[in-house]
Amino acid sequence: MAIMMPASDQAVLARRAEIVAALRAFVPGEGVIDTPAEMRAYESDGLTAYRQPPMVVVLPDTTEQVSLILKYCAGQGIKVVPRGSGTSLSGGALPLEDGVLLGLGKFKRIREIDFDNRVVVTEPGVTNLAISQAVAHAGFYYAPDPSSQIACSIGGNVAENSGGVHCLKYGMTTNNVLGCEIVLMSGEILRIGGKGCENPGYDLMGVITGSEGLLGVITEITVRILQKPETARALMVGFAEVEAAGECVARIIGAGIIPGGMEMMDKPAIHAAEAFVHAGYPLDVEALLIIELDGPKIEVDELITRVETIARGCGSVTLQISNSEAERNLFWAGRKAAFPAVGRISPDYLCMDGTIPRGALPKALARIRELGEKYQLGCANVFHAGDGNLHPLILYDANKPGEIERAEAFGADILRACVEFGGVLTGEHGVGIEKRDLMPDMFSEIDLNQQQRLKCAFDSQGLLNPGKVFPTLHRCAELGRMHVHAGKLAFPDLPRF
Amino acid sequence: MDTGSVVDTLKVRDAKDVEEVVRAAIANEQPLEIIGHGSKRGIGHAMATNAVLDLSALNAVTSYEPNELIITLQAGAPLADVLALIDTKNQQFAFEPVNTAPLLGTPALGTIGGMIAAGLAGPRRIRAGGARDHLLGAHAVSGFGDSFKTGGKVVKNVTGYDLCKLLAGSWGTLSVMTEVTLKVMPKPEAERTLLLRGLDDAAANKAMTAALGSPFDVSGAAHLPKSAFRAKTDGLGDLAGQDEALTVLRLEGITASAAHRANSLRELLAPFGTATLIEDAASAALWATIRDVLPFAASGALGAWPVWRIVCPPASGAALGSQLARETGGDVIYDWGGGLIWAALPPKGDAHAPAVRMRANAVGGHATLIQAAEDVRREVDVFHRQAPGIAALSERVRASFDPKAVLNRGRLSRGAVA
Repeated sequence: MAIMMPASDQAVLARRAEIVAALRAFVPGEGVIDTPAEMRAYESDGLTAYRQPPMVVVLPDTTEQVSLILKYCAGQGIKVVPRGSGTSLSGGALPLEDGVLLGLGKFKRIREIDFDNRVVVTEPGVTNLAISQAVAHAGFYYAPDPSSQIACSIGGNVAENSGGVHCLKYGMTTNNVLGCEIVLMSGEILRIGGKGCENPGYDLMGVITGSEGLLGVITEITVRILQKPETARALMVGFAEVEAAGECVARIIGAGIIPGGMEMMDKPAIHAAEAFVHAGYPLDVEALLIIELDGPKIEVDELITRVETIARGCGSVTLQISNSEAERNLFWAGRKAAFPAVGRISPDYLCMDGTIPRGALPKALARIRELGEKYQLGCANVFHAGDGNLHPLILYDANKPGEIERAEAFGADILRACVEFGGVLTGEHGVGIEKRDLMPDMFSEIDLNQQQRLKCAFDSQGLLNPGKVFPTLHRCAELGRMHVHAGKLAFPDLPRF
Repeated sequence: MDTGSVVDTLKVRDAKDVEEVVRAAIANEQPLEIIGHGSKRGIGHAMATNAVLDLSALNAVTSYEPNELIITLQAGAPLADVLALIDTKNQQFAFEPVNTAPLLGTPALGTIGGMIAAGLAGPRRIRAGGARDHLLGAHAVSGFGDSFKTGGKVVKNVTGYDLCKLLAGSWGTLSVMTEVTLKVMPKPEAERTLLLRGLDDAAANKAMTAALGSPFDVSGAAHLPKSAFRAKTDGLGDLAGQDEALTVLRLEGITASAAHRANSLRELLAPFGTATLIEDAASAALWATIRDVLPFAASGALGAWPVWRIVCPPASGAALGSQLARETGGDVIYDWGGGLIWAALPPKGDAHAPAVRMRANAVGGHATLIQAAEDVRREVDVFHRQAPGIAALSERVRASFDPKAVLNRGRLSRGAVA
């Protein structure tokens, strides 16, 4: 394991049997798992290169149980790692050797569907897709759609602020959640927000969303739901040069059109996808755009025409427009299967996740090509082109000595380039352990200290999911210390009134 | 503010100046009031300070990239100038920032920093989100006297905690923002507004619920009861003369689509009456009137009345608003499909706070006393008091940014910080 996790607390490990017994008092029966064989299912999440069996797994099914567990662990100085469905691609749910893994998988109930207020109140273990399915009969859906939506839990979506193909138009998780019930590490149960548009006071919901399980354990969520658009159609456009495809994206946005989704694939990704799903993708183009317009039919038809004109003006070499749902789904089939398709052509791959300003796309792809040559590894790129979110898939073979290290170094260089081009380390997958040590490339020590002080306001002992997001851990007392600056006003030349 | 003592106003020129002023404030245990143009100074409690940190000279447009849909601005940039600038590229802030000047009787529209710190969003809040949804990144000086940054200059970003969410709507109590990056969005090509007349509050709430639950992408849903027209209001034009309640529903987008959806929605709402239609400029003027709460403007007939802003579950709006109006003899206007109630209530020492708060609490809502005389604000909590656990967490969050409470001390709560 290339990444250092916080040192295990030997005193805690020595008391394992006692801790397991205490947890059994809170969660009876099969809710506590402590045999190595049964715990194996929990030793990694979607970032499978990293594995660590936890000290013990506990699967509560009530908020009160969560509260008792956390209060006990806080009192005993025991670390806790929360976990939803375990689909994180950044290692957010990687267990700790001396930590309790707190799984929310039994929180599977949708508590309330309120069509008049257009919200669903749900437990965190419900899958993203299940929410949409529960309201589909009335024409509603939940908009954020991470590609793992069949499996990923809504609690995990809130923890990671998950995105998806449609977030260009409909926002990320943070733009679609209204409230939650959260249990702090102290065991305190708090309710934040509700069915109204805005919450009073500081926007705690906003900062909890995307906090990667470091601030609290969410036990209930209120999400807003939308009416499904009347129809959707897609264009599939090929370009001989990546620059032309990038220009096309810029002109569509510049024309005031916000598509439901706008995806780009480069040549290696197109070839891998076509070989896998036979969607009829053109194989001799350098970049393929899939642009989906959704809304009322009259609007979609008009915008399809406008986008077609823009694409031809940018020198498209192939252009198809979907005329049926079957055709639209076929356009998407390759893109949606891009990760497994790449999995077929390479024994292993690393999926990266940086965001760049849209205009930096050609330069970013050129840099990735250079880096591929430097590291002697292939790379296929899929890209949420509308919002600048890049997913390079680095191809490697874990059985070849040194390749995974080279792949990780390649990935780190790509993310550093994203920051260099004015972007950020992660667009939707989270920092977790994967990008933790790159945080200083984007943030100064002062920036990171301010973030960690916020953590202290929620979890003063630093027991909840430690080792994630922040490369260096500080004690709260140390972070809260004030530098004493020289007294008196030190700015004689400042205009004063 | 104690106007009897000398007020020291420090006009900063850059982030370094802000750091110095905050550090001196910490060293001297001298709290600071943070202002831009001071347009929203009348909102909140009087602050325990006679030192003012003035950001109005930090007013540059750092960069504007229309094709990236972002703009980066210094916090003191005048909102009016920025709106004019992005309008040249046919773009806007989709959350429709409220212009509080008419309501408060102040001259200026204010600055970008004030817009974010107050976080007051207009009618499109229901579809496009609030200020918090459009703030992508910020540079700010904390109460430690240190500049820090959070977020970035791209729309899609989950790198680290999203401190932008906390800064938006924090009324300057967490940090002094010096530069912000905001999302801008294309202006819609066309807008159409359906007007339903004569509905009572309950029927109007039902009509708005039906409209917002339809697939027609409604971007504004408001109700002006008949009494809202007793004060002569700019922007309503001849709509006001008809002396009937007005329920209004907005559709925006490309022309063909907005027109088509307006027709579909009219059919859907037929049980509530026959809707008439206004377009583009007339529609925009109407929504600006609602956004800025002009029927309750300081210069109008109800100018002396305290004004509350109540946020609640949308379907609860009519019951809450109509009972409150009946009980107090006040006027209400509904926006956000019933989820936002502006209430102007007859003058009273406590501004009817117990009635307002009791009714808001009963439906899981909350209320802010946006406009009231200073002596009233001394007697009443301007901002909604939160449950003890949330209040304690919020105070820990505040202290994590500003442990000595040097920034806008006392603005959010009466006597919370000495």
